[in-house]
Amino acid sequence: MHPVKLFCWHFMAYPYLPEDFDEKYDSGWVTVPNALWDREQAKGLYQEYIDQLVYADELGFDGMVLNEHHQNIYGLMPSPNMIAAALTQRTKNGKIVVLGNILPLHLNPLRIAEEYAMLDCMSGGRLIAGFAVGGGPEAFNYDVSSPRARRQFWEAIDLIARTWTEDGPFEHEGPEYPLRYVNAWPRPEQTPHPPIWVPGARSRETMENAAERGYAYFLSSRSHGDQTRQAAQAYAKTMAKYDRTYTPFDFGILLSVYVSETDEQAKIESQEGVWYFLRNCLKGHLRTKGRTLTWGPGIPSASPESWRGFLEQWQFGAKQLGDTEDWEELDERASIIVGSPETVRNKLLALVEKAQAGNLLIQFHFGNMSDELTRKSMRLFTEQVAPALRSESAEIFARDFPEMADKETV
Amino acid sequence: MAGLISGLTSGKLIDVAGKNIWLTEIGTGDPVLYLHGIPDIHGIEAEPMAFHQALARSCRLIAPAHPGCAETTDDETLETMDDVVFHYLRVLDALELDRCAIVGGGIGGWIAAEIAVRYPERVEKLALIGATGLMVPGHPIGDLFWYAQADDGVRYDGLRDLLFAGPRTETGLGMIPDAKDDIEREMLKYKVFRFVSLIGFKPPYLYNPRLRSRLDRYTNPALILSGESDSLVPRVHAEAYRDGFPDARLELIAACGNTLVAEAPEQIAELITAFLAG
Repeated sequence: MHPVKLFCWHFMAYPYLPEDFDEKYDSGWVTVPNALWDREQAKGLYQEYIDQLVYADELGFDGMVLNEHHQNIYGLMPSPNMIAAALTQRTKNGKIVVLGNILPLHLNPLRIAEEYAMLDCMSGGRLIAGFAVGGGPEAFNYDVSSPRARRQFWEAIDLIARTWTEDGPFEHEGPEYPLRYVNAWPRPEQTPHPPIWVPGARSRETMENAAERGYAYFLSSRSHGDQTRQAAQAYAKTMAKYDRTYTPFDFGILLSVYVSETDEQAKIESQEGVWYFLRNCLKGHLRTKGRTLTWGPGIPSASPESWRGFLEQWQFGAKQLGDTEDWEELDERASIIVGSPETVRNKLLALVEKAQAGNLLIQFHFGNMSDELTRKSMRLFTEQVAPALRSESAEIFARDFPEMADKETV
Repeated sequence: MAGLISGLTSGKLIDVAGKNIWLTEIGTGDPVLYLHGIPDIHGIEAEPMAFHQALARSCRLIAPAHPGCAETTDDETLETMDDVVFHYLRVLDALELDRCAIVGGGIGGWIAAEIAVRYPERVEKLALIGATGLMVPGHPIGDLFWYAQADDGVRYDGLRDLLFAGPRTETGLGMIPDAKDDIEREMLKYKVFRFVSLIGFKPPYLYNPRLRSRLDRYTNPALILSGESDSLVPRVHAEAYRDGFPDARLELIAACGNTLVAEAPEQIAELITAFLAG
């Protein structure tokens, strides 16, 4: 049987913004003044967040998820590999998913191959290696030309995979990263190499490249609906083109969850953290107010064809997740699922069945949510949501993917 | 030639080494190459731009679109200004222009200057209009890319403010309307930004740190035009171009920003025509 895999994703938001942040500042990204960093309050913050991830491992999550962001309040992990290194020493069972290192931001992909190999060895083969191309904020953070980043990205991934699988030393001819000697020590513990996950925002190019190489696709979207299912189907179809058979474990989605005893209680408890996250952390990213840096002509990473498709659909000025005003609107977006164990279970199951997604990457901590509430929600989730989610999803997948029955899934 | 896509009617395609180059060619007389900037991507209206028409009264004006812009074939390998210069060498060869005057606006001015310092023998005269390209310590060029991300998801006030004399001038609103006016116009803008992003996003940011020290290689006459209210390229850049070329003069244009070709088309066409005739 193959139940859904449940991962705990921590973004590590900066939780100590002043109350008038939204009035005073037009972005939580790139230009958000770092004078707002409060040294006193921030003492112990990383410890608190790492402890929450350790707690996820103790609760029996299938893994912990980290990612890379720079110069922002949304995610305080310029180097997710450092947090991953800490987790190798503090966790025992769960996969350590770094989703991912943003390759075009790094001088040399060899360094990523080396660090990931170290993490795999240090964790006893528990690394899932994610690679991301980076979006608008990252282009501004590190001055990366967006069209160029796309070219660098796949060359870097291929070089890293080759580094892990081919005996060195060998020469890599480029064109983006010419290297005379590629001969990484250590090599990863897993063979042939750690599973590779690649996030994408439905672009044709990313799906083609990931499917061709047999990597898992992670849908980089915070809202779910018909488009989530369509993305899964598109990926299945793309895999088929390369003679690969789609299973739900080739596809992952990001969800956010808060669980409490009742629907009402869940809303009361999560309200502050959720809206801190929507208003502040998403400002500059997924919020129309201010200046969204995530996509646009200033960071033209998509091909002209993809951009045309986007323009045909997108209503300029339309509300985004961060513009959500009340619970009802939030509910419609199926992005942040808040409620009793029963409510959350039913909603997640419906989504799993519809989207046929096997990897659920779930955010439990929002913005400035307290340690106590975060842990409570995680605990209730594992005790009262996860068991049924696992057993019922296993039945759904057994029914919809019979060919998967005797296969091992990563 | 009839429009290839809606609205694209005042240009034509020529083949250069197997690639399409979209260009407007009007007028008769000595050839003048015009290299465009960001908002003045031409050939999108039924008639050539007023500036082109005015200039073409006394010359044969040839205005190609940069790689990937309008209907010019994208260059998947383009990385640096050197690539762009080689691209234009091929274009000049294909057009059999051994020597001609070059006029450039914004980033087109930068490209024109790079061609002139490398191949001064091919450039009869050089006119730069609100040209980027130089590094002047303490006076950075404005962040075009940042402001190409709309304010509150819809308004391009910031971008227009950089490119024109203010955020909501009539010319600016006409060329860069608030999103989204029509998809073809958005696409043209997007494609220009893709091109500019390749050569000018990663530092050096819309400039070449070596260019200033090479300006003395171009010894023919140069005319530098700068809008008095240019907030994209600070005035000192225009002065640095003037001081760097051995034979250059600077004209300031009142009540204009960076996009003089659209803000004062008749006035600067007259200045350039006189300069070319002189």
